[in-house]
Amino acid sequence: MEKVTGIITANYSSEALGALTKERPAASLPFGGRYRLVDFPLSNMVNAGIETVGIVTPYKYRSLVDHVGTGKQWALDRKNGGLFLLPGTVFGVSSLDSRFLMRDIRKNKVYLNRSRAKYVLITSCSFICNMDYTGLFKAHEASGADITMVYTEAKKDCKYTDKLELEGDSVKNVTRGVKKGDNAFIDCFVIGREFLLKMCEWYAAIDHLDIFELLQGEYAKMDVRGYKFEGYASGIFTVDEYYKCSMDLLKPEVRTELFNYDSMIMTKVQDSVPTKYLGEAKVKNSFIPAGCVIEGEVEGSILFRGVNVQKGAVVKNSIIMQSCTIEAGVCVENAIIDRNNQISAGTVIKGTAADPLVIPKVNY
Amino acid sequence: MRKNDCLAMLLAGGQGSRLEALTKHIAKPAVSFGGKYRIIDFALSNCANSGIDTVGVLTQYRPLVLNSYIGTGAYWDLDVTGGGVSILPPYATEAGGEWYKGTADAVFQNLDYINMNNPNYVLILSGDQLYRMDYADMLKTHLENNADLTVSVMEVPIEEASRFGIMTVDEEDRIVKFTEKPKNPDSTLASMGIYIFTKDVLERALREDNANPESSHDFGKDVIPKLLAEGKRLFCHRFEGYWRDVGTVASYYDTSMELLEEEPEFNLYEPGAPIMSNADFRPPHFVGENGSIEKCLVGNGSVVLGQVKHSILSVDSYVGEGAEVIDSILLPGAKVEAGAKIYRTIMSENACVKAGVKLGDENDAKAIILIGDNEIVERG
Repeated sequence: MEKVTGIITANYSSEALGALTKERPAASLPFGGRYRLVDFPLSNMVNAGIETVGIVTPYKYRSLVDHVGTGKQWALDRKNGGLFLLPGTVFGVSSLDSRFLMRDIRKNKVYLNRSRAKYVLITSCSFICNMDYTGLFKAHEASGADITMVYTEAKKDCKYTDKLELEGDSVKNVTRGVKKGDNAFIDCFVIGREFLLKMCEWYAAIDHLDIFELLQGEYAKMDVRGYKFEGYASGIFTVDEYYKCSMDLLKPEVRTELFNYDSMIMTKVQDSVPTKYLGEAKVKNSFIPAGCVIEGEVEGSILFRGVNVQKGAVVKNSIIMQSCTIEAGVCVENAIIDRNNQISAGTVIKGTAADPLVIPKVNY
Repeated sequence: MRKNDCLAMLLAGGQGSRLEALTKHIAKPAVSFGGKYRIIDFALSNCANSGIDTVGVLTQYRPLVLNSYIGTGAYWDLDVTGGGVSILPPYATEAGGEWYKGTADAVFQNLDYINMNNPNYVLILSGDQLYRMDYADMLKTHLENNADLTVSVMEVPIEEASRFGIMTVDEEDRIVKFTEKPKNPDSTLASMGIYIFTKDVLERALREDNANPESSHDFGKDVIPKLLAEGKRLFCHRFEGYWRDVGTVASYYDTSMELLEEEPEFNLYEPGAPIMSNADFRPPHFVGENGSIEKCLVGNGSVVLGQVKHSILSVDSYVGEGAEVIDSILLPGAKVEAGAKIYRTIMSENACVKAGVKLGDENDAKAIILIGDNEIVERG
């Protein structure tokens, strides 16, 4: 395999994620009990043997840098290669819906110039998947394409996902918004390193645009291909998508694919003690990490580390993020409770499955 | 404390044969405990939490799991420049090679390691005890007494004193008598097997011990009595708190079960002094539609589809549909298949009880069944 270097764009958010990404980039949005979205592309890259990964940082980068650190947990604390933080060029994260700004690449050209890799794999943090990239690399190398874009069949409509118009495996156009059944770009593509550096020159004057905006009308002149990913891939651009994708983890087939022990999703490890169930705990159909204490009732839910569900509390079809306490007698249903919330005794928090209620993060 | 002022030598070579099948394939310090830990985590975490960042780990019996578990020491923040964890197995020299013949001999054979780090004090630890201790406090006691050797002790009930090495002290806590397992104990201060030596005293004592053909090369039996006889300054450091040496299957079981109490005597999570471990990246555990869990500790990666009561499910445990796990301990990777029922059973790592098998007697509150690593139980 030719050498590949990775770039993860972690400097954007989605307006439709609302309060969930008000103070953090989508990349550091907690997901699946102990992960953050960035863990998925980062682990996929490392599992594919990529040893050098650059992360384009968001304006509010504290939570992201706190999480990835030196890349130690991903074995990226290396002497040769390793994890690089590439300063993003956008100030503010909330309303910009571009995920691959040319300027972010161009301003970090030195990262690419110093690399000896033949190819660059670029992904956003918006899709939850456990993907083995080796098939993609092979397809890209075999076709000799300039760019190979990964797509999946859209399971539903989404106005934030890009649609690939394909002829055979040739990409003829990329437009924003997919309908169910379309070829949905999962924000992951391979490109020759030298070709990417050339693009930096060609588009220097208009580098405030997204790479795929720049390529509008250029597809006939370039060899851009699609590569279909057959596994589970779910975009997270809206609260609804976040909620549904989280709830997918309760399905054994999704769980075993995403958390496949041969290609582990890695994350920042904390010294959480195993979760303690006390006498009156009643838990079913739930996904619960270490570090929780459960005395109440939990059903159809995802908890994060350090959650305490007290006696008589009921948590149903909800997502409770790190360090929340659900006090006695509280009823939480169809809700997403962001970090550090203490829900006081007797409170009732109810959303609907179609419109889950979000309780924003508490800062202390 | 100057860097490397106090160095720890962690004795982790013991077999722990009274733990039977639990230590058939791994050394006692590597035995899993508490759902996600291995016993050595306690000593290593104590070192890290006490600011001791140079630790020699003396291994001998079945060291593979232990070595790979400790790795670079990064999981305990012990991968530091100019210090860190060094695994010290027996080695050969031009005069041949020898096993470690006793605790004192193990340290004697590694005097080069100690001298390379040039500490003023050497802390000797066992890798097979469960406790949380700030060794900096003990070092302070050692310095205040201008001691040659400080022995960490705890009060034990007089009726249990004959199981321990007992220290008799004067009003300044200076040790005047040391008796290994006395029939008629005259003190209730039991040695915990944790020592701080002034380095020069240790080196001389170990060289003399090595030259003595009569010696069994044990700190408790040989080195300490000799230093005492020579009139060296031996003092006690009194420790109060939780301390267990899980020497037998029964004590391993009881100590584990204590963790399930609502307010256990030993709190695994103490902010500022966490017990750290080399944890794998496992997803959260999953509880199925028909699963039920009561009074349990559950580790990451586990899947619970059946009923579990008053048990410890370590990382990657599996309890199938309709299975019942009561008063039991599942070590990492242990699997209880659908419909199987187990009572008071310790399942070692990756052991499996096949579907429908029943083990143990729910009415027998004494017997403990122990299943070895990778063992598959096809019938009850």
